[in-house]
Amino acid sequence: METISLTSVKKEFVVEATQETAFKVFTEQMDKWWPRTHHIGSAEMTGIVVEPRVHGRWYSKHADGSEANIGYVSTYQPYDLFVLIWQINGDFKCDPTLATEVVTQFIPEGHKATRVKFEHKDLHKLGNGKSVESMNEGWGLIMELYKKEAEQ
Amino acid sequence: MSASERAFNALGDPTRRAIFEKLRHRPLAVVDIADGLPVSRPAVSQHLKVLREAKLINIKTSGAKNFYEVDREGILVMREYLDKFWDEALANFKRIAENTEKENNKHE
Repeated sequence: METISLTSVKKEFVVEATQETAFKVFTEQMDKWWPRTHHIGSAEMTGIVVEPRVHGRWYSKHADGSEANIGYVSTYQPYDLFVLIWQINGDFKCDPTLATEVVTQFIPEGHKATRVKFEHKDLHKLGNGKSVESMNEGWGLIMELYKKEAEQ
Repeated sequence: MSASERAFNALGDPTRRAIFEKLRHRPLAVVDIADGLPVSRPAVSQHLKVLREAKLINIKTSGAKNFYEVDREGILVMREYLDKFWDEALANFKRIAENTEKENNKHE
Protein backbone atom coordinates (compact mmCIF):
# COMPACT_ATOMS: atom_id res chain seq x y z
CA MET A 1 0.00 0.00 0.00
CA GLU A 2 1.10 3.51 -0.78
CA THR A 3 2.35 5.23 2.33
CA ILE A 4 1.03 8.70 3.01
CA SER A 5 3.21 11.52 4.04
CA LEU A 6 1.31 14.56 5.16
CA THR A 7 4.34 16.76 4.82
CA SER A 8 5.59 15.93 1.36
CA VAL A 9 4.56 15.07 -2.17
CA LYS A 10 6.77 12.47 -3.84
CA LYS A 11 6.91 11.48 -7.49
CA GLU A 12 9.20 9.03 -9.23
CA PHE A 13 9.27 8.19 -12.92
CA VAL A 14 11.57 7.37 -15.82
CA VAL A 15 12.13 9.75 -18.71
CA GLU A 16 13.33 8.42 -22.05
CA ALA A 17 16.12 10.95 -22.30
CA THR A 18 19.73 11.30 -21.17
CA GLN A 19 20.50 12.71 -17.74
CA GLU A 20 21.83 15.87 -19.37
CA THR A 21 18.70 16.43 -21.47
CA ALA A 22 16.40 15.71 -18.52
CA PHE A 23 18.31 18.10 -16.26
CA LYS A 24 18.46 20.87 -18.86
CA VAL A 25 14.79 20.67 -19.77
CA PHE A 26 13.86 20.73 -16.10
CA THR A 27 16.07 23.64 -15.11
CA GLU A 28 16.46 25.74 -18.26
CA GLN A 29 13.16 25.09 -20.02
CA MET A 30 10.65 25.19 -17.20
CA ASP A 31 8.76 27.72 -19.30
CA LYS A 32 7.91 24.92 -21.74
CA TRP A 33 6.39 22.55 -19.21
CA TRP A 34 4.99 24.69 -16.39
CA PRO A 35 1.16 24.71 -16.64
CA ARG A 36 0.16 28.26 -17.67
CA THR A 37 -3.02 28.00 -15.60
CA HIS A 38 -1.09 27.93 -12.32
CA HIS A 39 0.37 31.19 -11.11
CA ILE A 40 -0.16 33.85 -8.47
CA GLY A 41 0.38 36.87 -10.73
CA SER A 42 -1.93 39.83 -11.26
CA ALA A 43 -2.45 39.15 -14.98
CA GLU A 44 -2.25 36.28 -17.43
CA MET A 45 1.01 34.36 -17.17
CA THR A 46 3.36 34.80 -20.12
CA GLY A 47 6.38 32.87 -18.88
CA ILE A 48 8.35 31.40 -16.02
CA VAL A 49 12.01 32.00 -15.27
CA VAL A 50 14.54 30.03 -13.22
CA GLU A 51 18.01 31.53 -13.11
CA PRO A 52 20.16 28.38 -13.34
CA ARG A 53 22.58 28.99 -10.47
CA VAL A 54 22.60 28.90 -6.66
CA HIS A 55 20.51 31.82 -5.30
CA GLY A 56 19.04 32.29 -8.80
CA ARG A 57 15.53 33.76 -8.82
CA TRP A 58 12.44 31.71 -9.66
CA TYR A 59 9.48 33.81 -10.82
CA SER A 60 6.63 34.10 -13.30
CA LYS A 61 6.12 36.90 -15.83
CA HIS A 62 2.74 38.39 -16.67
CA ALA A 63 0.89 40.15 -19.47
CA ASP A 64 0.80 43.47 -17.56
CA GLY A 65 4.60 43.48 -17.29
CA SER A 66 4.67 42.41 -13.66
CA GLU A 67 6.62 39.56 -12.08
CA ALA A 68 5.58 37.24 -9.26
CA ASN A 69 8.21 35.54 -7.13
CA ILE A 70 7.90 31.84 -6.48
CA GLY A 71 11.22 31.26 -4.71
CA TYR A 72 14.86 30.63 -5.55
CA VAL A 73 17.48 27.99 -6.44
CA SER A 74 19.26 26.49 -3.41
CA THR A 75 21.26 23.66 -5.07
CA TYR A 76 22.41 23.58 -8.68
CA GLN A 77 24.43 20.46 -9.40
CA PRO A 78 24.37 19.56 -13.12
CA TYR A 79 23.24 16.94 -14.07
CA ASP A 80 22.40 15.16 -10.80
CA LEU A 81 20.55 17.38 -8.42
CA PHE A 82 18.42 20.52 -8.47
CA VAL A 83 16.79 22.03 -5.39
CA LEU A 84 14.31 24.90 -5.50
CA ILE A 85 12.92 26.77 -2.53
CA TRP A 86 9.17 27.25 -2.92
CA GLN A 87 7.82 30.27 -1.01
CA ILE A 88 4.15 30.33 -1.96
CA ASN A 89 1.94 29.76 1.07
CA GLY A 90 -1.56 28.32 1.49
CA ASP A 91 -3.08 31.73 0.71
CA PHE A 92 -1.27 31.78 -2.64
CA LYS A 93 1.03 34.58 -1.58
CA CYS A 94 4.79 34.57 -1.81
CA ASP A 95 6.18 34.69 1.72
CA PRO A 96 9.94 35.46 1.81
CA THR A 97 10.19 33.96 5.31
CA LEU A 98 8.77 30.63 4.10
CA ALA A 99 11.08 27.89 2.79
CA THR A 100 9.82 24.56 1.47
CA GLU A 101 12.19 22.44 -0.61
CA VAL A 102 11.45 21.08 -4.07
CA VAL A 103 14.16 18.44 -4.57
CA THR A 104 14.67 16.80 -7.96
CA GLN A 105 17.28 14.08 -8.53
CA PHE A 106 18.28 12.81 -11.97
CA ILE A 107 19.68 9.28 -11.99
CA PRO A 108 20.94 7.72 -15.26
CA GLU A 109 19.24 4.43 -15.98
CA GLY A 110 20.36 2.28 -18.90
CA HIS A 111 20.60 3.59 -22.42
CA LYS A 112 19.23 7.12 -22.73
CA ALA A 113 16.87 6.87 -19.80
CA THR A 114 16.83 8.85 -16.58
CA ARG A 115 15.03 8.12 -13.34
CA VAL A 116 13.59 11.28 -11.85
CA LYS A 117 13.01 11.38 -8.10
CA PHE A 118 10.97 14.38 -7.14
CA GLU A 119 9.91 15.55 -3.70
CA HIS A 120 8.20 18.71 -2.50
CA LYS A 121 8.99 18.74 1.24
CA ASP A 122 7.98 20.63 4.37
CA LEU A 123 4.36 21.10 3.29
CA HIS A 124 3.20 21.53 6.88
CA LYS A 125 4.83 24.98 6.71
CA LEU A 126 2.46 26.15 4.00
CA GLY A 127 -0.56 26.67 6.22
CA ASN A 128 -4.10 26.01 5.16
CA GLY A 129 -5.39 29.08 3.39
CA LYS A 130 -9.01 29.76 2.59
CA SER A 131 -8.28 30.57 -1.03
CA VAL A 132 -7.10 27.04 -1.67
CA GLU A 133 -10.55 25.55 -1.26
CA SER A 134 -12.25 27.21 -4.22
CA MET A 135 -9.21 26.87 -6.48
CA ASN A 136 -8.91 23.21 -5.63
CA GLU A 137 -12.40 22.57 -6.92
CA GLY A 138 -11.82 24.26 -10.26
CA TRP A 139 -8.48 22.66 -10.82
CA GLY A 140 -9.77 19.30 -9.66
CA LEU A 141 -12.06 19.32 -12.67
CA ILE A 142 -9.27 20.29 -15.06
CA MET A 143 -7.09 17.56 -13.60
CA GLU A 144 -9.76 14.93 -14.17
CA LEU A 145 -9.95 15.88 -17.85
CA TYR A 146 -6.17 15.93 -18.09
CA LYS A 147 -5.81 12.49 -16.51
CA LYS A 148 -8.33 11.00 -18.92
CA GLU A 149 -6.31 12.30 -21.83
CA ALA A 150 -2.99 11.17 -20.35
CA GLU A 151 -4.24 7.66 -19.69
CA GLN A 152 -5.63 7.06 -23.17
CA MET B 1 -2.12 20.97 19.60
CA SER B 2 -2.30 22.40 16.08
CA ALA B 3 -4.57 21.01 13.36
CA SER B 4 -1.65 19.45 11.51
CA GLU B 5 -0.34 17.80 14.67
CA ARG B 6 -3.79 16.34 15.30
CA ALA B 7 -3.84 15.00 11.74
CA PHE B 8 -0.38 13.49 12.18
CA ASN B 9 -1.34 11.78 15.40
CA ALA B 10 -4.54 10.44 13.89
CA LEU B 11 -2.58 8.86 11.03
CA GLY B 12 0.00 7.39 13.39
CA ASP B 13 -2.17 4.27 13.62
CA PRO B 14 -1.81 1.78 10.72
CA THR B 15 -5.52 0.88 10.68
CA ARG B 16 -6.48 4.53 10.46
CA ARG B 17 -3.97 5.00 7.64
CA ALA B 18 -5.54 2.05 5.81
CA ILE B 19 -9.01 3.55 6.28
CA PHE B 20 -7.86 6.94 5.11
CA GLU B 21 -6.22 5.44 2.00
CA LYS B 22 -9.48 3.67 1.12
CA LEU B 23 -11.41 6.93 1.39
CA ARG B 24 -8.95 8.83 -0.76
CA HIS B 25 -10.30 6.91 -3.74
CA ARG B 26 -14.03 7.41 -3.08
CA PRO B 27 -16.60 7.90 -0.30
CA LEU B 28 -17.59 4.66 1.42
CA ALA B 29 -20.17 3.35 3.90
CA VAL B 30 -18.93 1.83 7.18
CA VAL B 31 -19.61 -1.70 5.95
CA ASP B 32 -17.33 -1.16 2.94
CA ILE B 33 -14.65 0.48 5.03
CA ALA B 34 -14.63 -2.46 7.45
CA ASP B 35 -14.46 -4.96 4.58
CA GLY B 36 -10.98 -6.49 4.44
CA LEU B 37 -9.77 -4.85 7.66
CA PRO B 38 -8.72 -7.17 10.50
CA VAL B 39 -10.70 -5.25 13.13
CA SER B 40 -14.27 -5.30 14.45
CA ARG B 41 -17.00 -2.93 13.26
CA PRO B 42 -17.09 -1.06 16.61
CA ALA B 43 -13.30 -0.60 16.33
CA VAL B 44 -13.72 0.79 12.80
CA SER B 45 -16.34 3.23 14.10
CA GLN B 46 -13.95 4.36 16.81
CA HIS B 47 -11.18 4.93 14.23
CA LEU B 48 -13.60 6.92 12.04
CA LYS B 49 -14.42 9.10 15.02
CA VAL B 50 -10.72 9.90 15.55
CA LEU B 51 -10.25 10.72 11.84
CA ARG B 52 -13.30 12.99 11.92
CA GLU B 53 -12.06 14.82 15.00
CA ALA B 54 -8.73 15.37 13.24
CA LYS B 55 -10.70 16.90 10.32
CA LEU B 56 -9.25 14.35 7.92
CA ILE B 57 -12.63 12.94 6.92
CA ASN B 58 -16.26 14.04 6.80
CA ILE B 59 -19.53 12.22 7.12
CA LYS B 60 -22.36 12.73 4.65
CA THR B 61 -25.81 11.23 4.55
CA SER B 62 -27.30 9.79 1.40
CA GLY B 63 -30.73 8.21 1.80
CA ALA B 64 -30.66 6.09 4.93
CA LYS B 65 -26.91 5.52 4.71
CA ASN B 66 -23.95 7.41 6.09
CA PHE B 67 -20.92 7.77 3.87
CA TYR B 68 -17.44 8.84 4.88
CA GLU B 69 -15.23 10.94 2.62
CA VAL B 70 -11.91 12.75 2.74
CA ASP B 71 -12.33 16.27 4.10
CA ARG B 72 -11.29 18.40 1.14
CA GLU B 73 -11.42 21.58 3.19
CA GLY B 74 -9.33 20.21 6.00
CA ILE B 75 -5.66 20.09 6.68
CA LEU B 76 -4.76 18.19 3.54
CA VAL B 77 -6.10 20.70 1.04
CA MET B 78 -2.80 22.31 0.18
CA ARG B 79 -1.04 18.96 -0.01
CA GLU B 80 -3.69 17.50 -2.30
CA TYR B 81 -3.55 20.58 -4.46
CA LEU B 82 0.24 20.37 -4.86
CA ASP B 83 0.06 16.63 -5.46
CA LYS B 84 -2.22 17.24 -8.45
CA PHE B 85 -0.33 20.28 -9.61
CA TRP B 86 3.02 18.46 -9.71
CA ASP B 87 1.42 15.48 -11.48
CA GLU B 88 0.37 17.80 -14.26
CA ALA B 89 3.63 19.76 -14.40
CA LEU B 90 5.85 16.66 -14.30
CA ALA B 91 3.81 14.89 -17.00
CA ASN B 92 4.45 17.95 -19.19
CA PHE B 93 8.13 17.90 -18.26
CA LYS B 94 8.47 14.20 -19.18
CA ARG B 95 6.82 14.74 -22.56
CA ILE B 96 8.99 17.73 -23.43
CA ALA B 97 12.25 16.12 -22.23
CA GLU B 98 11.49 13.08 -24.40
CA ASN B 99 10.66 15.22 -27.44
CA THR B 100 13.85 17.23 -26.91
CA GLU B 101 15.86 14.00 -26.76
CA LYS B 102 14.34 12.86 -30.07
CA GLU B 103 15.15 16.22 -31.65
CA ASN B 104 18.75 16.07 -30.37
CA ASN B 105 19.20 12.61 -31.87
CA LYS B 106 17.96 13.78 -35.28
CA HIS B 107 20.76 16.32 -35.46
CA GLU B 108 23.50 13.87 -34.49
